[in-house]
Amino acid sequence: MLLGVDVGGTFTDAVLVNSGMIIKQAKVKTTQEEVLQGILQALDIVLAGSEPSVVSRVVVSSTIVTNALTEGKTEPVFLAVMAGPGMSTKERFPTEPYLADGYVDHRGKIIKSVSVNEKVFAAMSVGKKVAAVSGKFAVRNQKNEQELRIKLKEAGFERIFVGSEISGELNFVRRTNSAYFSAAVYNKFKEFIGQVEDGIRRRGITAQVQILKADGGTIPLAAALEQPVETVFTGPAASVLGIEALDAPAVNAISLDVGGTTTDIAFWSGGFPLLANKGAKIAGYPTAVRAFHMRSIGLGGDSHIRKTAQGFEIGPDRVGPAMAIGGKEPTLSDALIALGCVSFGDVKKAREAMSFLAETDDTVEEIAEKIVLASVTKIEGTIAEMIREWNLQPVYTVNDVIEGTEFVPEKLIGVGGGAPGLIPVLGMKMGLPVEIPAGAMVANAIGAAVSRPTLTATLRVDTTDGYYIIPEAGIREKIQRDFSRSTAEEILSAWLIEQADKWQMKAKNVEVMAYEEFPTIHNYYTTGKIIYLKMQLKPGILHTVTGREVVF
Amino acid sequence: MKSNLGLVFFPAFDWMISPTHPERQERLLYTRDQLLEEGLFDLEQIREYKPQLAEISDLQRVHIGIPAISRLITPAHLVSAGGCITAADSVMSGEVKRSFALVRPPGHHAMRVVHGIRGFCVINIEAIMAAYLRQKYGVRKIAIVDTDVHHGDGTQDIFYHDPDTLYISFHQDGRTLYPGSGFPNEAGSPAALGTNINLPLLPGTGDEGVHRLFDGIIRPILDDFEPEIIINSAGQDNHFSDPLASMSVTAQGYARLADKLKADIAVLEGGYSVEAALPYVNTGIILAMAEMDYSNVIEPDQTGLRRQDDRCNARVDELIRQIGDLWTNRQKLSREALAKCGDTWSRRKNIYYDEEGISEEQVETVHYCKQCNGYLTIQTAAKNTRFGSQSAFIAIVEESTCPVCRQEAYDEALKAKKTAKWQYVFVQDKTKGNIENI
Repeated sequence: MLLGVDVGGTFTDAVLVNSGMIIKQAKVKTTQEEVLQGILQALDIVLAGSEPSVVSRVVVSSTIVTNALTEGKTEPVFLAVMAGPGMSTKERFPTEPYLADGYVDHRGKIIKSVSVNEKVFAAMSVGKKVAAVSGKFAVRNQKNEQELRIKLKEAGFERIFVGSEISGELNFVRRTNSAYFSAAVYNKFKEFIGQVEDGIRRRGITAQVQILKADGGTIPLAAALEQPVETVFTGPAASVLGIEALDAPAVNAISLDVGGTTTDIAFWSGGFPLLANKGAKIAGYPTAVRAFHMRSIGLGGDSHIRKTAQGFEIGPDRVGPAMAIGGKEPTLSDALIALGCVSFGDVKKAREAMSFLAETDDTVEEIAEKIVLASVTKIEGTIAEMIREWNLQPVYTVNDVIEGTEFVPEKLIGVGGGAPGLIPVLGMKMGLPVEIPAGAMVANAIGAAVSRPTLTATLRVDTTDGYYIIPEAGIREKIQRDFSRSTAEEILSAWLIEQADKWQMKAKNVEVMAYEEFPTIHNYYTTGKIIYLKMQLKPGILHTVTGREVVF
Repeated sequence: MKSNLGLVFFPAFDWMISPTHPERQERLLYTRDQLLEEGLFDLEQIREYKPQLAEISDLQRVHIGIPAISRLITPAHLVSAGGCITAADSVMSGEVKRSFALVRPPGHHAMRVVHGIRGFCVINIEAIMAAYLRQKYGVRKIAIVDTDVHHGDGTQDIFYHDPDTLYISFHQDGRTLYPGSGFPNEAGSPAALGTNINLPLLPGTGDEGVHRLFDGIIRPILDDFEPEIIINSAGQDNHFSDPLASMSVTAQGYARLADKLKADIAVLEGGYSVEAALPYVNTGIILAMAEMDYSNVIEPDQTGLRRQDDRCNARVDELIRQIGDLWTNRQKLSREALAKCGDTWSRRKNIYYDEEGISEEQVETVHYCKQCNGYLTIQTAAKNTRFGSQSAFIAIVEESTCPVCRQEAYDEALKAKKTAKWQYVFVQDKTKGNIENI
């Protein structure tokens, strides 16, 4: 059986899934101070009456990394950067970088070897235990980065993250930021997963424990330590996977997970959630962390409602719980309860909450309707921005322009506590049909339980210079002139499968995500070719799950 | 927040003239790599736009294709022209301060009449954009500053009779480089005399000479002309590493030029040092246009860079003096030329299309009118086109053409039709982008 745990801002959910059926589920309050406590509590509920040995895999999705990063509760990082000539690095990284000499050009040629100003190096590294190293075009040649890593190791750093190992894709700034964030949360993350594993083992579960990543894939705890930053934003990812497991839309659709604090919006096409064109942004800084095309807006059941000259303002701050269940201030949930859209708590108190907001002779219903409309309008605005962003995918060929990538939604899917009240109204406004799948209340934990392990890697071949490189693996090998696409695919999939075996991830379905091939020309003669290949262990779900409604 | 720069990036990885031609698929590959690696698309100072597809009518506001423009272009041309239109819209709508259409295929060798491909160009994407700016936004005075190493003979041809379009081109002297034109005496037809400025430089001229020229004559003329919009035909083949030319400009030189020029819209033209120059020149231009620090954008390999010869500055100084005189006296010179030529002015052109071996003979006649801008007639005959030998008579009018001139233009077209001398007789409405087959 698969065990999934999702630690959200408000609730910690756990679910035990067997052959596509939910065997047991639990929902407990998230213990903010000590997340682990809530996790274990939820585990104990779903495991009550079962032998621990029935569990074949545990997947945890947790806000620990997200919270540490977004709240800045991280440790100082020594960031060593080799930017070479090009644009200024000023204000592009979360911390002041140490700028080492050393530069690689776009073809992977080392223009300048590494050299370090010892005095500045020493001054900037004082008091720091973790480090990150990153060089421009290191994905084409890692030599400088590796040398600088050795230098840092000699300087005594306990853990060093390297930009080009996080992603083989171009974007030096994103790789640098990713390496920085991995380092910044490393010790906190290490401690957390240690406790989680310990707690789970103490309950007699011997199955492998994995953690969810932002791209919806899972990875064993030990492997996650190699790149902690990838486990950021797993809550939204879990929610998307939950929808995929419960009721993946066959048409272009938008899913909305209306929680207590936020509403997470994702796009769907052809039965799969869409991955973002670019990596996730963390604390305002772009990273190479692959994530779904999602937005999280500060609007949920517990959102505070304020009256302004322009009308009602919903969120982004959370005051919850609703007055209907004993809260002190009016929330969006109160409006939904007052309208009879959702049924929990004391309707009378919810109506009272609405009348607090009355100014003119509006009825309680009219006020509640205005609040719901304001909420829905805010969501609609975010959806419009997301559509513009999606449609801005790079166009490299005539075909890209003609074929287009326009996203036109045909359906809305609502999950989470606030969805039944809010999403039908949004559907009416947008003229789209709405679906609220059963089992939606613990969708995140279901998503975590059934998600697949994933790995991604890239390979670049330059036959003129006679090498191929897999940055994620730190591999650079000499090659013969004739190098074909199929050879490239063989090499890269073999490495991915080897990695998967190493971490005991049952890997299947290695697929090509991107392929480019260009001839290189010198003085009107073709001198060779450049191949770029990106492959992955396909993310997604192991199998679908039949939901059931449970009243808490 | 309003971004400083709108960027339309379309490298056309599926368009080429031939696999080893300078205009080949991977021309902007290394540039793409550099821009991605620098993280330029993530900057809030830069807003990315996706190119739209231009309409045939957008093309026909400028061009008359023989037998039809639609039969001469590839879909990529509609994207590169469309990319320019997108760039224009981004600025005119106020979303961005200025924009850069980093697109291909290029256009500045494409003339008004098109029989095929010449100088890697079929349609003139800047001219199409200028016509669009006029039609959609009512822009009148436009300056086009061409910083490509080759003379933009296509752009010159299209705007030769238009006093509202100031065309300034500096380039390697035509006696040493394709297309062989672009001398100071090609200054515009009588009514537009002085608004076509050619600044042929000696081979080897570098940053020093180019900036001396810009400060000494280009900036003052631009300030005096007061254009509503400045367009930069941002060719990058004055770079010291360019395989097709012999100049010595660096990425810094180009970036500083973009910074000084402050063009409203830049459009990529030539530049064929695809590995050693384009990645850096484009990064420099983008940063300069986005008002960001570009001082550290330096080619990793400057071994091919030579200091410019003293004669280069001497030529620059001579041009500053000569063109300065022309500019100061242009109105007087224009009046004199108009008085001398009477009601019409003609020029005969022999045009060679290097790419396809087409030779075209053309007689272009400007018909002046006191009530309106007059009209234009063109007789063209070309050999060796992909459609064999072909000929056409063309009369060109616009929305503001007065009824008398419009009637005359149609009469001329009908007269030409009667002679049965021309395979095609067309009347072009430049405003509508409509071509009527008579």
